[in-house]
Amino acid sequence: MATAHEPCAIVGFGQTKHKKRRDDLSLPGLVREAAERALDDAGMTWSDIEAVVIGKAPDPFEGVMMPELSLADALAAVGKPMMRVHTAGSVGGSTSIVASSLIMGRRHQRVLTVAYEKQSEGNAQWGLAGGRSGGMGAGGIFAPWMRSYIRGSGAPEHIGWKVAVKDRLNAVKNPYAHLQLPDITIEKVKESPMLWEPIHFLESCPSSDGAAAMVLTDEEGGRAASKPPAWVLGTAMRSELGSFPGRDTVRPQAGVECAEMLYKEVGITNPREQIDVAELYVPFSWYEPMWLEGHDIAGPGEGWKMVDSGETEITGSFPVNPSGGVLSSNPIGASGMLRFGEAAQQVRGQAGEHQVPGAKVALAQAYGGAAQYFAMWVVSSELQPSLS
Amino acid sequence: MTDTAGNATTTSGDEPVTMMEYFMQLEYSDVVSAPVMRFRDALMDARLIAQQCPKCKLVYVPPKGYCPIDTVELDERNEIQLADRGVVTNYTVVTPVQYYGQKETEPFVRASILLDPPGGMLILQDVLDIPVAEVRAGMRVEAVWAPKGERDVDEIGNRSGSALEGSLRGFRPTGEPDMPAEAFSDKVW
Repeated sequence: MATAHEPCAIVGFGQTKHKKRRDDLSLPGLVREAAERALDDAGMTWSDIEAVVIGKAPDPFEGVMMPELSLADALAAVGKPMMRVHTAGSVGGSTSIVASSLIMGRRHQRVLTVAYEKQSEGNAQWGLAGGRSGGMGAGGIFAPWMRSYIRGSGAPEHIGWKVAVKDRLNAVKNPYAHLQLPDITIEKVKESPMLWEPIHFLESCPSSDGAAAMVLTDEEGGRAASKPPAWVLGTAMRSELGSFPGRDTVRPQAGVECAEMLYKEVGITNPREQIDVAELYVPFSWYEPMWLEGHDIAGPGEGWKMVDSGETEITGSFPVNPSGGVLSSNPIGASGMLRFGEAAQQVRGQAGEHQVPGAKVALAQAYGGAAQYFAMWVVSSELQPSLS
Repeated sequence: MTDTAGNATTTSGDEPVTMMEYFMQLEYSDVVSAPVMRFRDALMDARLIAQQCPKCKLVYVPPKGYCPIDTVELDERNEIQLADRGVVTNYTVVTPVQYYGQKETEPFVRASILLDPPGGMLILQDVLDIPVAEVRAGMRVEAVWAPKGERDVDEIGNRSGSALEGSLRGFRPTGEPDMPAEAFSDKVW
């Protein structure tokens, strides 16, 4: 793979313990907890960092406007370049990509990137509704699209329940995950209250407080790292209008093209075979099969069959969200970066109990808005892996 | 008492105070665009209008003043009158979260309505006069307009989208036979 740009390595990853309410921490404390862990993992200190890239979901979620300004102190960014990224729910992914571009473009050699949300200090449903009555939350917007997917693909209803159980059992292997539901069963998911038909309570993500952080560096830094690095093989971002007549909301064009662009850059011709593990943004259970198809990992109508046959389990041929995913922890702004960081951990061999054995190539994806913003990257344990 | 970080948080009550809700207010005025003003005037008259792009023929309701697909400016010459009847192409039943300002207390419907020719989609509409469990894709519906003296479009600004309840309360079943839902699977938004 010939690249004109500087190779980018992830040498440190950190995350908070995600919880419904981290009232032991202020906002600065929250981002600092994740950032300190990423620095420790990288064997670096604050003074090693040249620039900081921060992302979070819309400011009305906590009611703190332009928080990148007030958080500069906590992230030792005073006097350093600091940039805020803003792409709704996909922001953790696009923030990671912006940070990687500072390395790839040889602007900086060591970049810290952080993303967070403290949902307990606000009300996301109020924020999404703009303070008006009748707000539906993200689930209410996505629910009809899932119904469309179900109708179009002929998927049986237990597929959604199955994803909900799989991700929660994966989360039991992840000590940072918010939801710890070792006793969850298909029966419990099915019997849980209906929130947005067809989405049950247990098929929906929680509201979490949490943050994620990564330290990115160049080829020299990656090769000198004390722990194995994850190399960024390619990145892609695409967006489309959230609403226009005739929009394909089940398989948004921006998502299709984002994946196409990414696979082309990395040299992936058969994602299902060439990718060892994926962390996909699945805040509601049905989005697992929808993104498997929406990013051409599975053919049309085939995504739910991968779920049904257990292929997306940790032990399956294409594990999805071994960390427990957004269904188990949803600090909104951080959720995308958790996908990007967990993918890196997998190829670094650092994922702990939810490690997919021998993972060499990992895909991460985040989406946001009305499923209109997409961010994806592929990372590998090798800078130039053979993608057979 | 101490909080989870071990800090003393003792107050006069029994429970430590960990969070205080604070409401703030921000008032601003939005200059409503000409196409939306015309849309509001039509609503006061119990009519729905839209703009149709001459290039791609897509129908924008409410009118935008431009077609974002073709980047074509649209004006009164591109205006069309819409039907106030149509078909439910998709829907969800929402269990309301009780955030500040939420008035809904019981599960409610939000449906996508494809209006009869010349077409146009209205999303996030209430379906009235029918139990929520009986709402279905393919159901024929007609507009329920607020009585003339009660119609109010003050809340409709440039970014209100399909929130029209001050004038268009929602849609109710017409009682006509259902249309095949599969025919509208690409008309959900």
